[in-house]
Amino acid sequence: MSMYIVSSHEIKQLAEALRASYDVYGPQVDPQTQQVFFDQLGDVEALNLEAPIPSMPVKEILFPQMERVLQYKYDAEAQSVEMSKPYAERPKVLFGLRPCDLSGILVLDRFFLGQEFVDDVYLTHRRQCLLISNTCLNPFPQCFCVCTHSGPDADEGFDLDLTKLKDGYLVRVGSEKGQAIADERNWKPAQPHHLSEHKAVVDRCIDLFPEMATDNKAWVSRVMNRITTGFIKSETWEYIGDQCFECGACSFVCPTCSCFNVEDSRMCDGECERLRTHDSCSFEGYARMAGDHNPRQPVEDRRNKRFFCKLSYPQSKKYLRPGCVGCGRCQWVCPGDIGLPNVVQYIRREITE
Amino acid sequence: MKLMNYKACVCNLCGTGCGQFLKTDGRKVFGVAPLIAHPVSKGKLCIRGWHANELLSTNERITTPLIRENGQLREASYEEAIALVVERMRQFDGAAGEIGILASARSSNEDSFALGRLAREVFGTTVRGIGAEAGHRKSMASLEHAFGYPGAHGSLTSIDKADYILVIGTDITRQNPVIGGNIHAAQRRGARVVTLSSSRTQIAKLSTKHFQQKPGTKGLLVNALAKALLAIRTANRERRANVDQMPGHTEYVASLRSISSVALERASGIRYEEIEEEAKFLEQAKSIVFLFSSGISGLDRPTIDAITNLALLTDRMDHEHSAVIPVAGISNLQGGFDMGVSGEPGNSVFKALAEPDSPIRALFVIDHDDGIIRDKERISKLDFVAYSCAYRNAFMDLAHVVFPLPAYNETDGTYTAADKRVQITRKNVDNPHGVLPGWALFQRLAVASGKAWGYQDAAGVFADIAAKVPGYADLSHELLGKGFGQHWNPKAFPNSRQRKFNAINIEYWESPTTPEFPFALMIGKAQHYWHQNNLMRKTIVPRREYDQTLWLYPQGYIEISPEDAANLKVRDKWLVNVCSSTGTCMKIAVKISPDVQNGTAYIPYFIKNMISDFLIPYENAYAAGEESVIPIKIQEA
Repeated sequence: MSMYIVSSHEIKQLAEALRASYDVYGPQVDPQTQQVFFDQLGDVEALNLEAPIPSMPVKEILFPQMERVLQYKYDAEAQSVEMSKPYAERPKVLFGLRPCDLSGILVLDRFFLGQEFVDDVYLTHRRQCLLISNTCLNPFPQCFCVCTHSGPDADEGFDLDLTKLKDGYLVRVGSEKGQAIADERNWKPAQPHHLSEHKAVVDRCIDLFPEMATDNKAWVSRVMNRITTGFIKSETWEYIGDQCFECGACSFVCPTCSCFNVEDSRMCDGECERLRTHDSCSFEGYARMAGDHNPRQPVEDRRNKRFFCKLSYPQSKKYLRPGCVGCGRCQWVCPGDIGLPNVVQYIRREITE
Repeated sequence: MKLMNYKACVCNLCGTGCGQFLKTDGRKVFGVAPLIAHPVSKGKLCIRGWHANELLSTNERITTPLIRENGQLREASYEEAIALVVERMRQFDGAAGEIGILASARSSNEDSFALGRLAREVFGTTVRGIGAEAGHRKSMASLEHAFGYPGAHGSLTSIDKADYILVIGTDITRQNPVIGGNIHAAQRRGARVVTLSSSRTQIAKLSTKHFQQKPGTKGLLVNALAKALLAIRTANRERRANVDQMPGHTEYVASLRSISSVALERASGIRYEEIEEEAKFLEQAKSIVFLFSSGISGLDRPTIDAITNLALLTDRMDHEHSAVIPVAGISNLQGGFDMGVSGEPGNSVFKALAEPDSPIRALFVIDHDDGIIRDKERISKLDFVAYSCAYRNAFMDLAHVVFPLPAYNETDGTYTAADKRVQITRKNVDNPHGVLPGWALFQRLAVASGKAWGYQDAAGVFADIAAKVPGYADLSHELLGKGFGQHWNPKAFPNSRQRKFNAINIEYWESPTTPEFPFALMIGKAQHYWHQNNLMRKTIVPRREYDQTLWLYPQGYIEISPEDAANLKVRDKWLVNVCSSTGTCMKIAVKISPDVQNGTAYIPYFIKNMISDFLIPYENAYAAGEESVIPIKIQEA
């Protein structure tokens, strides 16, 4: 793997150069609210690689909250139907992905592309996508990627990976696509001491994690074991269920949640459009079956489904990693107090009591 | 640099006023993100807020003015529709009460203010009202008497800091979930959260203490808490000169003294000793927040008076983290009252519609929820009805002229949340049909009637509001655009420093149940059911969730306790006949719930028959809101 050492100015130049042939997305800070979004860049100057973790996961770009996936018009007399694809392929650069969001994309890839059926909508958004990750130099509140093997630095899946060091950014190349970009540019090769500096930066970041996160590291795997073997008491799930407000927020902000709902709606002129929207296992209607049977009607039965998905061994086998990437967003948005790290704590309490 | 695709605004679906980002390209809305820096919602949204994009993408919009011709609505130009409304309205005598205005609790302050002017200056009428005002009027009257101004005391952000939080009646995790979440967070940080409700709601489960009282005795319990608080102070020989000197104190204390612990326990099912224990915590708390629901399912006046009195008696209301907040279910209910479009006693449009011999002949209506068209027959017989709304609904069938309105993100507007926080939403999407904002439409009607108002934009309307509406003087669009809103200033009211106790009557509520009609039926709530679902029915996921309930209980459901179900020999989803003491009957499925007390039963609002067959014929039950109790019997179907 080639490595380069690149100045901040050259990073901006790279982003600017990529804008010629790609839509460039990157972390930006909203001036009014100081909230960080991973949004399309109107101007490279807005790219802020030191901004905290984006408030919404990057999956919004590849698998948006709501998307038109089909348009059709049925002519009843001629018995013919016209169909069109309202989504289009656009080359994209995701510039400055946090490693947790990168891991999230890898999970979504395995869900949408790596199984029996390949999802054409996701594939269209994903196909010409350049992934540039960015090592976290310090953890943000609620982060716990050290527990889920998804940070603070990336180890797979990127085309280029950036780490801010003293001399500039260490650029690691992770793919042929990434190498081709590096080859076009006159970047200085990195020295061996840069690599050890990279390791020191990552180690320092891990040290900075709050005790709750580092301490939980062993517990996440212990809880996975418990969840997989079904040893968790129903009282614990009820305690968690009582705190669920059924808003669905945890699923919407989760970088790996891939559940969706499909609905056709008729426009005024007889044309129909098919919408795909995010869905959440916390909703009662989500698990309803034909014939009105609902195997997961009580809220606690729905709520624990989420944690089976994030923290059980069979599910991890499917994604080749835990379903949780440790970004902590579910903890931010939950009006109850049942973000994933807390649930691990509750189960831990049960184990240790 | 502004973000390309995310625009900050205020969620317009309930009175909490959460911060929200819409993901939009300026033409369509694709998604929602919570706003982390917002002082009340702090990066949280409920299922409604998270699905605002679905509502804002619905095809069920009104896109152009419509005029009824030969029984059918046809498209028309603004010129034609406005001319028609002006010409028809001229034929009625507003001063004689022939024209009524029905405003909306979802309209922006600018729209409601301009509507108020239209009513007064153009139609010459004072007959008016807001869709969901019934309960809120009582809250306003009680608060105005107690604190000197018609609005909440304190801020919703107090929940995050207060020592003690008392939640009275409301099923707040359903009605205003983000406030419920804040209360839950307060409980977890160590605040004492006490809930008073007859059924075991989610907030009751999450509270430090839940008083599950018998129906109809919330006010009595609050008064008993006040009595116990006084007793502690007497025992400690403590005097609170400032409280003792408030007008009404002597009468209030005398009434409290008359509470008998035996009668209290018989009526409410709660022992006075338990209340005395609770009063100790209340006395120790430095900051106290009182929350109760207001609006269509609000409390009755004696209960609200008991709450405001207890608040004054605690002597903690000057603490920066104390508050008394009537929690509104609709976004701008408070703003509607502030703008003066609510119906005062004597000129209420609801009264005019309900009284068969009232002179009303024409109605001008904004955004009305179709599920609750009361007096529908009367409205259908009026000579002229004009209706304006962003979304299609059943009220259009009653209208002779229909005007479109923009959705909340298609125009600049300010909204006043339950705690008086005035916030601005800037236009972030162009209305594809170029429809006029409400204030501009009303101005056009005024101009066509020969009145010039001279408003250039919504900011100009707001400048007029600042000049005329008490409390709004310091506010402007520019100022509100800078942060996350600002509370209007109660000091603008001359009486704001003169606190007074409301007069109370101690009554030991007797349940209207009889051996023949042994169950006390109350209005229940259900998840995913808000605003009669006028709006939620136009979404995808929240509608599915609501339908989910209906799929399981297609005829609707009545919630009863497991013990009562066993005695009645019925099981979940079995059909029963429910008959009230006035003779109304309906067939409905049983839903067995451990959260319900024996002898009580709940039917949610959304069951159509509940309103049309049950509540409306039952004298005063509809008006009594959350406190209404109907004696019923339940028999096998």
